[in-house]
Amino acid sequence: MILTPQVSGAAGVNADAGAGVGAAVTDPLLVTEAVTRRYGYRRVFADVTFSLRRGEVLALLGPNGAGKTTLLRVLAGLLRPSGGSVTRNGTVGLVAHNSMAYDALTARENLAFAAKLWGIVDAARVEELLDRLGLVRWQDQRVATFSRGMTQRLAIARALIHQPDILLLDEPFHSLDDPGVADVVRLLGELVSEGRGRGRGRAIVLVTHQLERLVQLATSVGYLVHGTLVGPEPMDDRSVETIAARYRGLLNRA
Amino acid sequence: MRDYLGVVWAIVVKDATVEWRTKTAFMSAVVFAILVLSILYFARDPTAVSSMDIAPGALWVTFTFAAMVGLNRAFLLERENQAIDGMLLTPVPRTAIFVGKMTGNLLFVGFVELISVPLFVLFYNVSLAGRLPQLLAVTAMATVAFVAVGTLLSAMAVRTRFAELMLPILLLPFLIPPVVGAVQLTSRILAARPASELMGWFKLLAAFDIVFCVLAILLYEATLDE
Repeated sequence: MILTPQVSGAAGVNADAGAGVGAAVTDPLLVTEAVTRRYGYRRVFADVTFSLRRGEVLALLGPNGAGKTTLLRVLAGLLRPSGGSVTRNGTVGLVAHNSMAYDALTARENLAFAAKLWGIVDAARVEELLDRLGLVRWQDQRVATFSRGMTQRLAIARALIHQPDILLLDEPFHSLDDPGVADVVRLLGELVSEGRGRGRGRAIVLVTHQLERLVQLATSVGYLVHGTLVGPEPMDDRSVETIAARYRGLLNRA
Repeated sequence: MRDYLGVVWAIVVKDATVEWRTKTAFMSAVVFAILVLSILYFARDPTAVSSMDIAPGALWVTFTFAAMVGLNRAFLLERENQAIDGMLLTPVPRTAIFVGKMTGNLLFVGFVELISVPLFVLFYNVSLAGRLPQLLAVTAMATVAFVAVGTLLSAMAVRTRFAELMLPILLLPFLIPPVVGAVQLTSRILAARPASELMGWFKLLAAFDIVFCVLAILLYEATLDE
């Protein structure tokens, strides 16, 4: 059973209506309480509890197979938690390992299709994202001809099409070249702070192994190790070495 | 309702565009249909069996198995790059996704049938004069029944490791009732039997349509569970 996103007020069908209608500005956009996920008898993670407000970026660190992707799918409502609860007070955008794009369609057609499903009638939104993600030159090329980096840009554009309140990013810098990474870091920074004063900033959960990017963007960091979420801990010290040392220490703890 | 139909239409257009550009399923289904019709025709002994005796069976074997090619493709397309997740993240009703995929499949199978019928007429020397409306009704009703259940089972089978093998295994038992009804009706229509002989089978096909469509729409969401 797919979870129906628990959106306060109207579900974000309109591109501008996804700002957690009904929720106060300071209310958390995303709340997890003791979330557990199992596949059969195998427990992936247990008792994951945190909350995320507008303008906050939670970075998730963990080794391969720790369950970071599974946790993001649970947060997005694509997977049902085996225990606990997830509350989303806004619309969700997800950048996953897969692009969710149709290879036989062009970049523009993929975005237009996503826009239609979100009920966005404003064609300018597609143009804006093509421009913002640097895809204008390739907008009429089929995705099958795209490099991985271009596909990743399209995946990010698709996730942003409905101006989500909560953005879940699974390795968003994967396959991007240096200018691409810089573009995405800048874009994410803008998304977090965009309209923050008017209560429209976004909450982001960021899974990445690139610590340099993590310290640039994150406001807190959680370590998903041994099936448990340690943290989120505030980013008091924005030093890669400190984060790396803390992470290594947790990994080596039996 | 307008939004619902808009989503259904968007999915149909998207599937048709993808199929138009790739043509993988359509070409496979058409080639398969030509092969089956011709093999069954040439395999019979013309001195012992008239072409009209095997025509209804040949037609429905062709339609059924050619349709499976398209049904298999329907959700495999959504698994490429996990595109289905992109749809599930949106607030669109799950039933709209199913109805969109099913409508796309109906169009696909309809086109394959459209191409197969002239070949059927040619090979089996069947005259459709005066029988076309009835044959169209049978074809439409039986197609709706097996496409409804086929789309649902395709959504289930695509999650298994051997999706293309699983669909026929799962689908064939469900196809027996509507296809038997369709064969019976086709043979009676081609033999110019009176309308009173047809009504019972038509009612049966209508019942299958209603049951299969309602059940498929109700059960679709369960196929999305991981």
